Parts: sequence; C-alpha cells; structure tokens
Amino acid sequence: MTRRLMRHAVLAGAALLALGAGLAWAQESSEPRPPKMAWSFTGPFGTFDRAALQRGFQVYNEVCSACHSMNLLSYRDLEGPSALGYSGDEVAAIAATKQVTDGPNDQGAMFQRAGRPADRFAAPFANEESARAANGGALPPDLSIIIKARAGGADYVHAILTGFGDPPKDMKMGAGMNYNAYFPGHQIAMPPPLTDDRVTFADGTKATIDQEARDVTTFLVWASEPTMEERKRTGAKVIIFLLVMTGVLYGAKRRVWSDLHDQDGRDS
Amino acid sequence: MALPENKIVRWIDHRLPVFTFLDHELTQYPTPKNLNYWWNFGSLAGIVLTIMIVTGIFLAMQYTPHVDFAFDSVERIMRDVNYGWLMRYVHMNGASFFFVLVYIHLFRGLYYGSYKAPRELLWILGVVILALMMATAFMGYVLPWGQMSFWGATVITNLFSAFPGVGNDIVTWLWGGFAVSNPTLNRFYALHYLLPFVIVAVVGLHLVALHQHGSNNPLGIDHKGPQDSIPFHPYYTIKDMFGLGVFLIVFALFVFYWPNLLADPANYIPANPLQTPPEIVPEWYFLPFYAILRSIPSKLLGVCATFGSILVLFIVPWLDTSKVRSAYFRPVFKWVFWLLVFDCIVLGWVGAHRPEGWFVIIGRIATFYYFLHFLILLPVIGWFEQPLPLPPSISSPVLKKGGRRLAGAAASRRKP
Amino acid sequence: MAESAQSQTGGAHAEEGTRRDFLVIAANALMGVGAACAAWPLIKSMNPARDVLAAGAPVDIDISSLQPGQQILVLWRSRPVFIVNRNPDELKQLQTSQDTSLLRDPNSDELQQPPYAKNWHRSIKPEFLVLIGICTHLGCIPEFSPQPGGALGANWLGGYFCPCHGSRYDMSGRVYSGVPAPYNLPVPPHRFVNDTTIRIGENPPDSSWDFGSIVQI
Repeated sequence: MTRRLMRHAVLAGAALLALGAGLAWAQESSEPRPPKMAWSFTGPFGTFDRAALQRGFQVYNEVCSACHSMNLLSYRDLEGPSALGYSGDEVAAIAATKQVTDGPNDQGAMFQRAGRPADRFAAPFANEESARAANGGALPPDLSIIIKARAGGADYVHAILTGFGDPPKDMKMGAGMNYNAYFPGHQIAMPPPLTDDRVTFADGTKATIDQEARDVTTFLVWASEPTMEERKRTGAKVIIFLLVMTGVLYGAKRRVWSDLHDQDGRDS
Repeated sequence: MALPENKIVRWIDHRLPVFTFLDHELTQYPTPKNLNYWWNFGSLAGIVLTIMIVTGIFLAMQYTPHVDFAFDSVERIMRDVNYGWLMRYVHMNGASFFFVLVYIHLFRGLYYGSYKAPRELLWILGVVILALMMATAFMGYVLPWGQMSFWGATVITNLFSAFPGVGNDIVTWLWGGFAVSNPTLNRFYALHYLLPFVIVAVVGLHLVALHQHGSNNPLGIDHKGPQDSIPFHPYYTIKDMFGLGVFLIVFALFVFYWPNLLADPANYIPANPLQTPPEIVPEWYFLPFYAILRSIPSKLLGVCATFGSILVLFIVPWLDTSKVRSAYFRPVFKWVFWLLVFDCIVLGWVGAHRPEGWFVIIGRIATFYYFLHFLILLPVIGWFEQPLPLPPSISSPVLKKGGRRLAGAAASRRKP
Repeated sequence: MAESAQSQTGGAHAEEGTRRDFLVIAANALMGVGAACAAWPLIKSMNPARDVLAAGAPVDIDISSLQPGQQILVLWRSRPVFIVNRNPDELKQLQTSQDTSLLRDPNSDELQQPPYAKNWHRSIKPEFLVLIGICTHLGCIPEFSPQPGGALGANWLGGYFCPCHGSRYDMSGRVYSGVPAPYNLPVPPHRFVNDTTIRIGENPPDSSWDFGSIVQI
C-alpha cells in the first residue's frame, strides 16, 4: 500500500466528512455558541489567578449560595497556596460563619452549630424537594462540578451569567421564565443573578457584572477540578521524561537493528 | 538454548521451567524480519490491558458500588485520594486508547490477511477478546453513575426486550429489578472486575495460537527458512518498547491535558432516573454499532444487525476466498479495504448524531455497505481478483520489474 | 502507567560478540525509572486520603456534665477514647503504694503518654483522665470498673478490666504486673480549651509531642 494511495484515500474521506459536517452544522446549530473567553487557566501552562478565585468564592458565598449547593466541597478545600490561598485560620473563620446541621444529640434531635473546616459547604436547602418548592418547581443545580457537566465549560457558564436580556419580540416566555441568549431553548428559570456592585470585592476590584461573572466562573472551574494545576505540572514532567526515554529507545532500536546484515542494507 | 549459569535459576527451571519457557517464547521466538510498525499494536494492547487492570484495582479500593454513593465516591477519588485524579483519568482514557489500539490491530489483521489459514482460531480468539472488551467497557461506564451511565445502561439493556417471548424476562433478569437500579450497578461492578481477567486468559490462548505458527508478515507469505526470521529478543522487544514510548506520549497528552476530550459532559451530572438527557450517546468506540442499531427501523432486526456486525467478524476467515493473504498483492481488495475503513468512520460519525435528516440515509447506506463488504465483496473479490505475483520469500532480493510494491523484504521495510 | 518490566534475561547474558551498548543500558535504566515513577502514585494512593485525614482532626468534647466517678466514651481517629472524672477517693488511692506496688510501669517510663501526662495521674488536671481505650495486649476495649472489690475480687482497687484475656489497669490506666498486657493504656494528645471543653488530638500550646511516637496503641 503506497503512501500516495493512502493519502488519496484519507483526503477523499476527509473531504466527504467535511461536506457532511457542513450539512450537519447547518442542521444543528440553532443555539449560539458561547463566545470564547481568555482565561488564565486554559492551555498546558494555565494556572489559577488566586485573587480571582477568592473574589469568585465571595460571589458564590454572597450571591449563588442562596439557591445553589456545592455538596462536594469542604471548607478545608479552600486552604493553602494550591487552593484559594487562605490560611487555616481564615478557613476556620469562613466555616464558622456558616450554620451546619449536626446530630443527633443526646436527646435524639438534630441541631445547628457553627461550621468547621472539615464540614461540607452548607447547603441552602435540606433536600431536592424543598429546593424545588422554593424555586417554583425548578431545581438549582449543584455547582460543585458544573463546569465539567456542561458542554462549553467555563465559556458556557460565563455566557449564561452575562447572557440575560429582553426576549425577541416574537418569543413567548413561559411563566416565571427569563430570557437567556445562551441557555438551550433560551428560557431559564434562574433570574439574572448578577448586577453591578452586587458584591463589594475586598481587594477593591470594580464589581461589574462581567467581572463578577469571570471571577465566579474561575472559582467554579477550580471547584470542578481542584487538582488541575497539579495535573498540568505533572504532565509537563511526564511528557518531557517520555520524550527523552522514547528518544533513547529509538536510538537503541536503531543500534540493535543495525547489525542485521541484509542484502538491501535495510536498517529498520 | 542459552540458560543462565546461575544455580538458583537452574534449580527453579528444573522444577518449573519458567526460564526455559521465557527463553523459548520470548527471546528466541523466531519472528519474520520484515514486520512493520503495524505489528506493534498487539503488544501495545497487552500493555494497556495491564495498565487498565492495575489502575482498576487501585480505583476499586476507593469506589463504592451503591447508587447513593457511587458518583460521590468517584468525585472523592478525584479530589481527596492521593493521585486519585491520575488513576481515574488514566483508567478513563485508557479504555478509549485500548479500543484505538485494538481497532488498529484488527484492521491490520484484515489488511494483511492474518486471519487466513492456519490462523483462523487466532483471529476468532481476537474477536472474542473484542467482544469481552465491549462488555467490560459498557459495564465500566455505568459505574460512575452519571446521566450517561444510567441512560446508556437503560437503552442497551432494553435492547434485549427485542427478543420475542423471553425478551422482557431477560431484561428483568439483567436488571435485577424493575429498571436499571442498585442491583444492576452492583452486578455490573462484580462483572466489570471479573471480565478483564477472563480477557487475560483469552489473550493467553491468543498468544498460544500465535506461537503455534508464528506471526504473519506484511508480505503475507510463509517463512521458508531461518534466513527469514530473527529472534524476538532483542529486535522486537526494543522495537515494541520504542512503540510503547511513542504511544505513552500520545496517551500522556490526553491524560494530562485533554482528559475529558473523549468524555461526555452529561456524565458529570449525577444519574437522574426521572430525567432523560437530550442526547443519549455511547462512548465513541461504540458509535459505529450504535449507528447500525438505529439505521434499521425494526427493533429486533436492529439488534440482530448490531450483534451481526460483530458476528460477521468471526467468519471472515471463510468469507475471504482469496488464496493470497496480504493486501500488498491484492490491488482490488486494497481499495475495498480502505473503503471499509472509511465506512466505519462514517458509521461512527452517524452514531454521534440524532437519527434525523441526512444522517438517516447516510447511516443506512453505511450499514448496508458494511455487510456488503463482508458478505458479498470479500468472497467475490477473492474469486475474481488477479493478485500480483508474490515474491519467492521474505528475504528474496528486490525484484527489478514492477516497482516498489513487488519487492520482497524491501517492500515491507517501508516506514509507517 | 505500570509497564511490564523489560525482559531482563536478554540484556543480562552476552550474546556472542555483542558488547553492551550504552544506548541499550540507558534505555533499560530509563524504563526502570519510568516504571518506578508509575508505581509510586499507585502506592501513595493507598495512604489516608485528604478527607480521612481531615476527619482525624482534633475533636472538642464538652465535659460540663461529666460527674465525678463518671466516664464517657468518644471517638477520635476511629479509636475509642475514655474521658473520666475521677473523685477524690480514687485520686488518693492512686498515690498509695498499695496501688503502685502492683503495677508493671508505675512511673510511666514507657512512652505511652505525652510528657505533660508523665505523672501519677497521667493527665493535665488530676481529676480528668483521657485514655485511648484499647488494651495494649491485643486491642479489645477494657471495661470501666471503678468500684473496688466486687466480682473482680476483694483485692480489686478499681480501674479497668479487659474481658478478652484478663488484663487489668488502675484508675490512671497503668497496667498491672502479671497480666498479658505489656504497657499502660495510651494517653492521646489533649488540652483544655476552657474549663468545660477538652480538645482531643491537640497538644497544649507549649508542647509539640508526636502521638506517633508511642510504643503501643
């Protein structure tokens, strides 16, 4: 099988696929794509901006946590330079501002107490039913892993948060629904959560809607995968090692095969 | 036979001939000297199988197979377990790469006629391994208990209800309940842990069958003497290790930089039996079969066609009537082979989309062509094709006439 | 990414005339390093995970309702911990030779307690004793038997009795001679956050004793 033949086959295949993909595209994308944002954490060398993480956590704490739980995170996860950069005491103080359910006590009753670092993030509702009841039947999704759970990831979440607006004239909105340019179907039960200066950032950054959205999205990306930076760092070391090792192996392979005496002098 | 002088080695070998065995089957084992890089994929698949088993065992130490805890236990592995994220991503992407390797290995076999006598059973064992892999992967995907885990399990187990009469009983038996539920998850976990070891056993048989007559080679002609072969070690051990290095680089790129590229975001949503996701899509390696399933309007015939698409692989050694093994010397078959590859890619692409519009007709044509290839084209081409003249042996000198393709060893020396 | 070890036999014995090649040796070495680096995270993954370590954090116990002569049982790091409020009679008894002459290690010479508990009451405040309730013989939980005499015999002065193999300890957790258990009951790191709260798992500010240094849990 010559390379030329193979190349022709592949090119033909690719051309047909491209044609088909074009057809598919024309059929499918009635939903606008979320605009691609520039984030500090994308790419093989991406890292989190710790200040943004802390601001984002503040937005979650003061705005989103009223309806959205983050059941997979504990307050202790916020501690340390590879997390949000809070110290142990700061984390304990954050936890202590929350009330968590504990028990049963010696009388057999559940009780509320101040949070501790080992506690999971306090949830706004005790269960799904009470969450739905408080939100007109809609369930605010848990945000622990929302970035990985949505196609488009960070770009999509940011687009949702900034995509609210007035519906086009010919669109009939359902009762209690809000128009959002990027939500599939364009009708979302969540009212616009962010406004300018909804929170006051401790570091003085101006709290525009876009800033709040970027910061909380950054925080949510971290929350979805706290080990991301470690993963990329380890990846760099592993791949460099593998490149060196594979290079040496290639040299060794050539060396081993070179002593094959062949009439046509092959050496591979 | 070069057995080491070491006394301990001799003592053990006299009682349990491990060293003699390894020396015979791994070191001295005569292998055609003209194998190209397409022959690396078998050993690569074996290594990935080992990686999957090892990571799987360590993951199993931390996973909880109960509907209320499964999803959270996987997230605990990702967040709290030391290097848990690494084991999970290796295992998750390893499954995809395992199928990449095995599909290439399979198509290599189709191209070079490795399934022809006397290697029919070798081929059949390979198809058995593929079927076991598909079962293992399907059950493994259910374990994280995400939306796709649950709904994919629901759709696929419901397929069995197509069988007349006993269908619903079979499905209830598979589920252990009225729907995919906790008993289902538990038994899938047990079987997912078991089947890889069954695969190991069948791989063992696969290797025994291989060693019976030795490897095929790019020319598809039998070796005529010792000048055609070289010992497996060091030539192919070092070549396999180099191939492994290249593979690991690609694998590492996915694990560390694009770990979720092949994953469906919907599986990061905990399973909700009361809410079907807008698209139910299996993992990419099942997409061609998914396309075949949906291309036939009848439920039962669709199921039969899906299973049939794998069953037809079992009889390939008898469907192909050509006396010539390798596609090097089969100009018509060569084109038809690449058409099949293209067809499988199209089927995969169709399987990823909703069965609407253009996808329906393309899917049906592609499904029809798939069976046409195996059931009609293979036998017919074998009868009527005029193969190119075969070189006398693997080591024979380069033939002057006809160009590169007719050369003996030189032809198979081509860089991949 | 565990790799099957490269066949060692091939590289090891010399084929006729082939001398060891640097590239081959380097290749083998790198693959060995790679395999070890691949195995390392797998082994490390079996260490306690972050949430398990967090659950082993110090725990605060409210002792305001613990009466003299009473004991409560709490869990710390999955282990039973006794907190006892000893009454004055028991405290006096502990200092007599009638008690200490029966003991294997009356002065707590073996490292089974932090330095601030190396005394006759094996605690910070004499009244409140904190012990890990695991018999140093084979790990059963000893019974709290503070009353002298009774079923344990007229000579029983009060303390702990392990039902599994009969080991006995006094009211400071010190082991008797002639019983199977070899060491005193361990004392965990602890401190008084305030008069009514004991924090188990944390040393007082002036101590940095490592709980892992004790002889026998």
